[in-house]
Amino acid sequence: MNARILVVDDDTALSEMIGIVLRTEGFDPVFCADGNEALAAFQSTRPDLVLLDLMLPGKSGIEVCAEIRNESGVPIIMLTAKSDTTDVVRGLESGADDYVVKPFNPKELVARIRTRLRPTPVGSTDVLRVGDLTLDVAGHEVLRGEKKINLTPLEFELLLALASRPQQVFTREMLLEQVWGYHYKADTRLVNVHVQRLRAKIEDDPDNPKIVMTVRGVGYRAGATG
Amino acid sequence: MPEDRTPTLRMPAWRGYPARALHFWRANLQFRTVAITVALSGLAVAVLGSYMSVSIGSNLFDSRLNQVLAESSRATNQAQDFFDSDLATADPSRTDLEFLSNTVLANIRATSTSPGGLGVAIYRSPGQQTAVTMQPSQSRGFPGEVISQELQDAVMDNTGPDRVWWQSVELSDGRPAIVVGSLLTVPNAGFYELYFVYDLGDAQETLSFVQQTLLLGGLALVLLIGAVTYIVVRLVVGPVRVAAEVSQKLAAGQLEHRIPERGEDVIATLARSFNGMADSLQEQITKLGELSRLQQRFVADVSHELRTPLTTIRLAGDVLYDQRDTFPPATGRTAELLHTQVQRFEILLADLLEVSRYDAGAVELEIEPTNLVRLVEDAVDSMRLVANEHGSDIRVVAAGGYFEVELDARRIRRILHNLLGNAIEHGEGKPIVVFVDSNEDAVAFAVRDHGIGIDTDDLTRVFDRFWRADPSRKRTIGGTGLGLAISLEDASLHRGYLEVWSEPGNGTCFRLTLPRDLKRSIRVSPIDLPPAEPTDDLEVDDA
Repeated sequence: MNARILVVDDDTALSEMIGIVLRTEGFDPVFCADGNEALAAFQSTRPDLVLLDLMLPGKSGIEVCAEIRNESGVPIIMLTAKSDTTDVVRGLESGADDYVVKPFNPKELVARIRTRLRPTPVGSTDVLRVGDLTLDVAGHEVLRGEKKINLTPLEFELLLALASRPQQVFTREMLLEQVWGYHYKADTRLVNVHVQRLRAKIEDDPDNPKIVMTVRGVGYRAGATG
Repeated sequence: MPEDRTPTLRMPAWRGYPARALHFWRANLQFRTVAITVALSGLAVAVLGSYMSVSIGSNLFDSRLNQVLAESSRATNQAQDFFDSDLATADPSRTDLEFLSNTVLANIRATSTSPGGLGVAIYRSPGQQTAVTMQPSQSRGFPGEVISQELQDAVMDNTGPDRVWWQSVELSDGRPAIVVGSLLTVPNAGFYELYFVYDLGDAQETLSFVQQTLLLGGLALVLLIGAVTYIVVRLVVGPVRVAAEVSQKLAAGQLEHRIPERGEDVIATLARSFNGMADSLQEQITKLGELSRLQQRFVADVSHELRTPLTTIRLAGDVLYDQRDTFPPATGRTAELLHTQVQRFEILLADLLEVSRYDAGAVELEIEPTNLVRLVEDAVDSMRLVANEHGSDIRVVAAGGYFEVELDARRIRRILHNLLGNAIEHGEGKPIVVFVDSNEDAVAFAVRDHGIGIDTDDLTRVFDRFWRADPSRKRTIGGTGLGLAISLEDASLHRGYLEVWSEPGNGTCFRLTLPRDLKRSIRVSPIDLPPAEPTDDLEVDDA
């Protein structure tokens, strides 16, 4: 079955054009042009991925992003006209997995979508332990004791990348390549924001992390198994 | 590369005192004014007081001396008359003479009116042989020791218009005194010296009292002048100090601060004009800030409004471009042209937006620790293909810069790409060398080509917007004409410098120097402009 992609953008010409590109690439696009209707469209179409414009009539893209994130971990890619304003960070903080700056070319867009839709690489082990957490790799689940912690697929992948090689210190560039699929220098804020979001979910005290540790000046590594 | 640590000399604390005192002196107008006023008025009072003291002292002495001399003279005459009249007839005998001298002394003491008379004495002048001698006699308590040989000689000599001689002496207890001496001729008994001693202690006391009064009065006057100066200076300096503080706050951007306006005097006028100036400054700045905000809003809006249709065009162009082989040749070429020109338009738009962001002051650095050598090598690697197409070989010579520095990697990479692009474009296929080095407080890279170079006249214009070295030249790498202008802005945002050297026919070199961290300033760039040509030794990294 083709992956269904919800395109939330008020510019109908652009939506249509994106639709043409996506169809050419074998996706199944559905459209929504209003921020207020975005959540309803999301609930009725159950897409595999959301392309979300930040500037929308009605609710802003950031609000929509937070609403969708509230009920689903489905990958969200922001479409933004601004590359270096705080909007990108706000979008990421409200739960978007990645962003594409307008004007983008079709290959770039498709590459970003494919990275987010690819299945998690299955390692040799089914169960990993990091800190006091248990990662069920096949089941895409994170457990603290008996309690399940809800992570988005991206957050799970980020944690999995760190946990699968606990001795390794990952630079932000390595994580960008492994988790986001960037093979060139990209925005390291992606990593910073998502590490913060991940810590907020899995750490007992996010200000004093024990699972995703910062290595100053280098990057991150997994905490000791406890 | 270990950082050189210059040994710092530790100075003892007191070595700083003169400097600190000097600083206090120079920094404190109030203290300085009061100190100078007190010193000068103190000097004036001291001179005046000394003059008055000396003049009163000599006046007191002179009047006492005249009085004493007149009295001594009268007493001498009286004694001489007494001797003359009594001894002219009588047959002199020893008893008579003793009696006479005692009578004379008693008479003198009885008639003496001047205060401080300590006593009278009659001495026989030495070295004479007479028929009879009168025993020397003196009143009780006469301080004989104060009569000097000098005075005795003068008295014995008895020449000159005066009949009396005097000398200023000091008594055994330190009080000043006058000794007056005269010569008496006693018939048959020869010459006798008559001495009077007058104590000037009372005059000295008067003088001391006057001096003390003068000293106290002078001190009080100086203190009073000091206090008055302090108050006056405070009245004047106080508002000036307030004005200075307020203008500092204004300069620091606290635009709402004003000087309190009180009264109608010149200080109040100063305060009013200052506040007027501050009002108009605040108004202007607010207006400019508003304009800048509008500009930023405009830039953001244009950015969004232009980019959305451009994205659609781009997507459409790319879809067509991907299928250009299926079109008739003319349509296929059209799709190609559309594709490349949309790309060019996109780059131009991005550059324009970047420039307008700089103009609006809406740019912030995203600082991260970066290894400059690695950044340069990455950038060079990404440009190597383009360079090879133009026949240029790029080499990196990195003598330093291996430690991480705080910088916005995206902007520095953009500068380097731009410089490399220019070097490849104008390098005429000759080798290009990228130098990287660092020193104590700066890091730098320089891009050196060996192409046509730039005329001296044009050299000042290379950073101008949309300026091109040779408008007729074919553009191969694109470029919007804004690259160097943006690079210059990026460099100054890092508080660094982007400089250019060029020699027609010999090539061009752009050098970027950045401070190691933004708080430090650059003293000297680690790389010379132009850098020395590398010799083919081990330092050359031919990666």
